[in-house]
Amino acid sequence: MFQHINRKTAARFVARSLVASLLGAGAIAHAADIKVGVILPLSGPVAAQGLSTVEGIKAGVQYQDSVNGHQLKIIQLDDASNPSLTTRNARKLISQDNVDVLIGTSSVPGAMALATVSREEKTPLVSFTPIELKDDAAAWAVTTTQSGDTMVSAVVDAMKRNGVKTVGYIGFADAWGDVAYAALQRHAKEAGIEVVANERYARSDNSVAAQVLKVIAAKPDAVLGGGAGTPGALPYIGLHERGYKGAIYGTHAILSPEFVKLVGEAGEGLIVPTGPALVGSQLPADNPSKAIIDEYTKAYKAAHGEEPYDVFSAYAFDAWLVVAEAAKRVPADIQPGTPEFRTALRDAIKQTTKLAGTEGVFSYAPDTAYGVDKSSVVIVKLENGHWVLQP
Amino acid sequence: MILLTDGLAWSAIYLIIGLGLVLIFSVTRVIFVPFGSIAVFSALSLGAMESGHLPAMINLLGLFVAVAVLMELWSIGRQRAWGRLPGSLLRWLVVPLLPCLLAVWATGQDSEALRVVAAILLAVPLGPLIERVALRPVAHASVLSLLIVSLVLDLILAGLGLLWFGPEGIRTKASLNGSIAVSSNLVINYQTLLTIAVALVLAVLFYVGLQRTRMGKVLHATASNPVGARLVGIRPAFTATIAHGISALLAGIVGVLVSPVATIYYDSGLILTLKAFVAAIIGGLVSYPLTAVGALLVGVAESYASFWNSGLKDAIVFGLLIPILVIRSGLVVHHEEESEE
Amino acid sequence: MKQRIWKYAMPLLMLLLIVAVPQILGSFHVALLNDIGIAALVVIGLILVSGIGGALSFGQAAFVGIAAYTTAWLSTTQGLSPWAGLVLGLVLTCGSAWLIGGITMRLGGHYLALSTIAWGLAVPLVFANTHALGSHTGIDGIPPISLGPWALDASRTVFVLIWLVVLGGAWFAYNLLGSRVGRTIRALRGGKILMASFGSDAFRLRLTLFVLASAYATLAGWLYAHANRFVSHTPFSLHASIDYVFMMVVGGMSQLGSALLGSALYIGLNNFLQDVLPLVTDRGAQVNSLVFALLFLLILLRMPGGIGRPLSRLWTRLRPRAKAPVLPAPSRQLEQRSMPERGRSILNVQNATKRFGGLVAVNGVSFELKAGEIVGLIGPNGAGKSTMFNLLTGTLPLSDGTVSFMDEPTSGLTQRQIALRGVARTFQHVKLRPAMTVLENVALGAHARGHCGLWRGGLRMDREEEARIMAEAMRQLKRVGLADQAYELAGSLALGTQRLVEIARSLASDPVLIMLDEPAAGLRLLEKQALASLLDTLRSEGVTVLIVEHDMEFVMSLVDRLVVMNFGSKISEGRPDEVRADPQVQAAYLGSDA
Repeated sequence: MFQHINRKTAARFVARSLVASLLGAGAIAHAADIKVGVILPLSGPVAAQGLSTVEGIKAGVQYQDSVNGHQLKIIQLDDASNPSLTTRNARKLISQDNVDVLIGTSSVPGAMALATVSREEKTPLVSFTPIELKDDAAAWAVTTTQSGDTMVSAVVDAMKRNGVKTVGYIGFADAWGDVAYAALQRHAKEAGIEVVANERYARSDNSVAAQVLKVIAAKPDAVLGGGAGTPGALPYIGLHERGYKGAIYGTHAILSPEFVKLVGEAGEGLIVPTGPALVGSQLPADNPSKAIIDEYTKAYKAAHGEEPYDVFSAYAFDAWLVVAEAAKRVPADIQPGTPEFRTALRDAIKQTTKLAGTEGVFSYAPDTAYGVDKSSVVIVKLENGHWVLQP
Repeated sequence: MILLTDGLAWSAIYLIIGLGLVLIFSVTRVIFVPFGSIAVFSALSLGAMESGHLPAMINLLGLFVAVAVLMELWSIGRQRAWGRLPGSLLRWLVVPLLPCLLAVWATGQDSEALRVVAAILLAVPLGPLIERVALRPVAHASVLSLLIVSLVLDLILAGLGLLWFGPEGIRTKASLNGSIAVSSNLVINYQTLLTIAVALVLAVLFYVGLQRTRMGKVLHATASNPVGARLVGIRPAFTATIAHGISALLAGIVGVLVSPVATIYYDSGLILTLKAFVAAIIGGLVSYPLTAVGALLVGVAESYASFWNSGLKDAIVFGLLIPILVIRSGLVVHHEEESEE
Repeated sequence: MKQRIWKYAMPLLMLLLIVAVPQILGSFHVALLNDIGIAALVVIGLILVSGIGGALSFGQAAFVGIAAYTTAWLSTTQGLSPWAGLVLGLVLTCGSAWLIGGITMRLGGHYLALSTIAWGLAVPLVFANTHALGSHTGIDGIPPISLGPWALDASRTVFVLIWLVVLGGAWFAYNLLGSRVGRTIRALRGGKILMASFGSDAFRLRLTLFVLASAYATLAGWLYAHANRFVSHTPFSLHASIDYVFMMVVGGMSQLGSALLGSALYIGLNNFLQDVLPLVTDRGAQVNSLVFALLFLLILLRMPGGIGRPLSRLWTRLRPRAKAPVLPAPSRQLEQRSMPERGRSILNVQNATKRFGGLVAVNGVSFELKAGEIVGLIGPNGAGKSTMFNLLTGTLPLSDGTVSFMDEPTSGLTQRQIALRGVARTFQHVKLRPAMTVLENVALGAHARGHCGLWRGGLRMDREEEARIMAEAMRQLKRVGLADQAYELAGSLALGTQRLVEIARSLASDPVLIMLDEPAAGLRLLEKQALASLLDTLRSEGVTVLIVEHDMEFVMSLVDRLVVMNFGSKISEGRPDEVRADPQVQAAYLGSDA
């Protein structure tokens, strides 16, 4: 019975590999390609984010696929949201395929694992996940996303502007939830806002009825959701079901069209901090990222036939941008594929100054992985299923 | 109180799943792990139809139909029983594709009720198809081997789900919006009441159906004594198909009941099945009323556990399975286990 | 000579490989081999408890996780050495295995598998939600293992340690399976009544295996944590446990070598698919797990022996295999018990009664057995002979009355305890282990006369006792006249021969009393004659025999006395000629009008 399926698949496989090899045979090897190793989760719990980032990278390739005469070649592997696979894939790309730089991955533990490997094998890493690295640990890695602390600080500013005096928190029962909560506590205190509830839930939960009840009982003016992705919609849905009338805030981790669809009318009025890419068309003309966002939109449309609609692809596009721009600054006499090139590329990346990306303006430094500060962050509000830029 | 009603709603869901699991186990000795995945597919199909896309369940059914038809052709060809061909094609090709046509039509229409019906009906052929393709060839194996095959089947279904439905979670529109206020701090959603009502109705139907109708007696007979049933002319393949069909219908109902209240992902099925399984074990995998009691326990326990520590609630529910298994097996006199070699 | 070369060359070759390979291969392939080695460790344990021991466990990855998190937590937050992590990991993991196993190993078949699924699901959930263990992020920055001044912080260096541990673990398991305890492990699938008949406790053995498997998992988890320097909950999920079962099934469940084969196949195939699938489809990553599940299903449906079986047949053809394991000549025999003098009463049944609800199967039966005689317990079908037999062996508890063996009442004793006191038995449906040799089957009988346990067996420190046991087994085979078939597989023999082997097994336990359950059933005339003459010889050597039989002709010429039962009661007792003439006996067998 299954023999037939296998035969069919096998026939298809043979046909396609023949075609692939014929085409491959015709390709001319460029003078020393710069090999970019891309590790992403394309299956498993974080697959949704992984798939979005693939789109972003494709847009990046569309925008710029060669630097100084060197072709930027991608070798992509799936880590199935499993950090051990991330490590294995990274080692594979470095020792077998001799990549010059790594880009990846969408889950925090995976990205941390990548940072360790990149440090050991002295290959630069450009990630798009919030990875907390300090001093020596950050010597070889950067990320294009804003730190959780920065974003929460921005949203607390928004709360203060809107007159919020007490805030409740419903977040993930894991590191991300912890990071967001710690940042909330710190910045709320500075802004004179009292944190009155701290409830957590698991990513895989189906409902947060109990937690919502406890938060409502504390009667806060506003509630900050500390989740990510589609599970991040649960607190808002729960609050809406129980008739909560206060203001709702969130972090940039929930920005995705699936989230918007899932949260429905429960998310009306949700205020969230984000990089400029999400509302590129609404930005004033003097915003430093506006020009590159236009380029990104054009490239994305060319690669996919539709406009970009989520932030993960924007972060990934920025990662590509960082790599391409830094590669430009590597001295021409150092050849890709050599340890010297990798070190030089790392130096160039770390010396990036005021590079306008879609999600902010990047300036990197040797002792931290983050390169964006609060000045590039904008506040948006969810109205009728669309994100509207707030002044 | 709110926790209690929340817990009851989930108890209702686990009860329906439990009914399906016990039905299949008692007729075929298979612990049908893929039940939850079928429910999840029906939910995902409803979500797809709501956003105007053709549900990928059609691809799934198409794949299984193709394999089943080929297997039927192979076996008919080997026995040269060409007379069976039209009946076989009718059963394995035409009938499963009918719900697909309904779904295609429903996607274009604006009626939510139609979509719900289509989503439920889409699930129904999947049960017998799975049985025909993957379980019938090993129907004589030990319960343990069937369990392993069943587990692997669920992995395959989840993989296909990821491939065709994508990794994102969905939540569908509630069938009944609004709620009633029973008291000043107790608001019960209509959806919750609907779920509990459906579960109760199905439980009664099951009970009556198995005791009173002829088909029910046939199923019961096969469950108690498969060889005896064959001797009086009941074909085990037939009863297996019926059992799986009924069970898949239940799965479809579960899917559309659960999708408005919980975010459903392509791999949510396994956890659903296993939790309902705890309930079924309390019923010893044979008794429907005890399964209902078990479902009640599991649903309420889960609700309270989630209040106490939401992260560990699944761990608590599964951890409970072990003492339940021990108590259960202590109550049944153990015969000497089969020598396996 | 060839044996000796094999014995010394193989380990040397392996050591050479372990040192050379990491220098030759690139760091990625070395890391891959490390993963294979760690997985193989888990699968060795899994094969012992599930493949051979028959208790299917879907929870091994949970144990790997407990060990990994223990050592990770200790070496990061507590700053202890990884070696302390190993010790505490063993304590914690084996301890939890002992607790869990104590509760669940009594469950049978699918209930046991289900409980392991529950365990395999619950534990990683606890990891993922425990703050101190890093929740979903995991624990980072784990220090490497150090051997004195050398820190094993690169894949190349930790490779050596991993593979030394794998080889050591495989060696231990291999020795164990060939030892006294190993024989009982291989007999586990025969059921707990068989095990009790030669004095082995099936439950305790299964529990021991479960804990042993968790020890292997501990080693794997410890190595994993310090080789990857990072742990999170994903690699210890139920999915990972199912993967380990896959590796065991693919390699062939009851072969030790399949641990390596299965894990190499799984990880290697995964790697290969990762390279190849993107060429075929751009959803390659998502198809990967699908392909594996399909493969698993195919193997389950079509190749239940796994890939290992045809390979192992090839292997045995290539490798020169000695007929018998090379054992030193034993310095003396196994200790023998002192037999009671002829004529002394050894079994005293007073008013034995057994009720099953309303049915009285055995109704106040009394008789006595004296040392050195053969007694037959006969009666027509349904007389209650089998029930009586079960009462005597302790398989069923008495409802009323007493049974005393050597003046000690047996009412509170288990089958196993009764067997250890010198009662041996055979089975109506022969219970031999078909995959073991005749000699090994007989050696099972001598189990209670040996003392070497798990450790001595695994570390090969049991050679002297093994030699004694095997010599004893051979002696018994000679006694029943089957010495020339000692190395045949028991499953290949004719039924009559198998019964003789069972009798040899009973004799190997140096019994005071042998109880035979319908030994003549299914035998041809010549076989019956051989059996009768054997029993005759045994009687002259001082063995006491109780035969339960309903073949009149067979027993009449053989026994000293007969006890006749019908409808649960004793209707006659005495010498064969007396009993034959008894009208009640005639009525029972032939009907009252005869």
